[in-house]
Amino acid sequence: MKKSLLLALGLAFSSSALAGASTHVTVADPYVRLSPPSALATAAYMVLKNNGEAGIRLVKASNPLSRTTELHNHFNDNGVMKMRPVAAIDIEPNGETALKPGGLHVMMIGLQTPLREGDVIPITLTFDDGSDMLVNATVVRQGIRPAQRQR
Amino acid sequence: MSNRALAYVALLLASMVAGLAIFWHPAPAERPLPTPGLPAGGDFTLQSVDGPVSLADFRGKVVLVYFGYTYCPDICPTALITVADALEQLDPVEQERVAVIFVSVDPARDTPERLREYADFFHPRIVGVTGSEEDVEGIAQAYGAFYARQPDMEGGGYVVDHSADIYVVDGDGRVVDKLIHGTIAAKVAQSIRTALRL
Repeated sequence: MKKSLLLALGLAFSSSALAGASTHVTVADPYVRLSPPSALATAAYMVLKNNGEAGIRLVKASNPLSRTTELHNHFNDNGVMKMRPVAAIDIEPNGETALKPGGLHVMMIGLQTPLREGDVIPITLTFDDGSDMLVNATVVRQGIRPAQRQR
Repeated sequence: MSNRALAYVALLLASMVAGLAIFWHPAPAERPLPTPGLPAGGDFTLQSVDGPVSLADFRGKVVLVYFGYTYCPDICPTALITVADALEQLDPVEQERVAVIFVSVDPARDTPERLREYADFFHPRIVGVTGSEEDVEGIAQAYGAFYARQPDMEGGGYVVDHSADIYVVDGDGRVVDKLIHGTIAAKVAQSIRTALRL
């Protein structure tokens, strides 16, 4: 009895039980694009790097600021840009997947408060094995800044 | 015809050819020929928050025409950021001669007020316009733009699939270039400059 309890505890705390896909993932340059004040949606972008030997799938993202968060991709169908939800985003073993404008992105739909430049949004990424990780994405105003216009 | 007459004719033709080669230097065509693949385009009038806006209001200026919608979360902002970036690469004199018209393909939701707020966010030179479903459809057709409203999403709202080309219209109101989505700002600026010289 004592022995099996120890075994169970040992299993529970062994590295294999704790190490989820998320421990193999590093995230570079996460940011959320500042949207116009009237916009109800915006997108988060980042580069997901898989340092492990097995493929990893990002299956879900969530954040506290928007009503829903979806994984999306864009398809260029003869010049027509089609944005569609995707079930998962694959990250190849020892590879990386870039979430960037015009391609894969985390869609934040139904913003409950307008974003401000410099806000930091905690985004939780969930992988196919149920492990998750927190990414802090800063709200960035892309392109030219108002100050630059006053040349 | 005698051989002699033939020889004269031959000599005459040869001298004409030589004369052409020596003296005839046609000036290169002032205007480029219409490029295949460019749409007919043409004038249109739609509504902005400040009243009607016609393409014809901008004769003498280069106009960029883009079809999009304000709920567009990624493609339209990417295009408008690029356009704003391109405008900033022009000198102030050139900038004065450029206008940007953002045509809403989502008249059901895009009010002129929304469009103004949206366009201003990217650049003060961008004017957002909308109109009746029929008007917008006719204009999109003339410019070869495509859009299709998609079914409502789970989270509410809907997306509109749309072509994302930027049409460059010269000072005479003709479409002189079409820039595909993803064209970098420097290329957009270059196309504007080319159109300014037409």
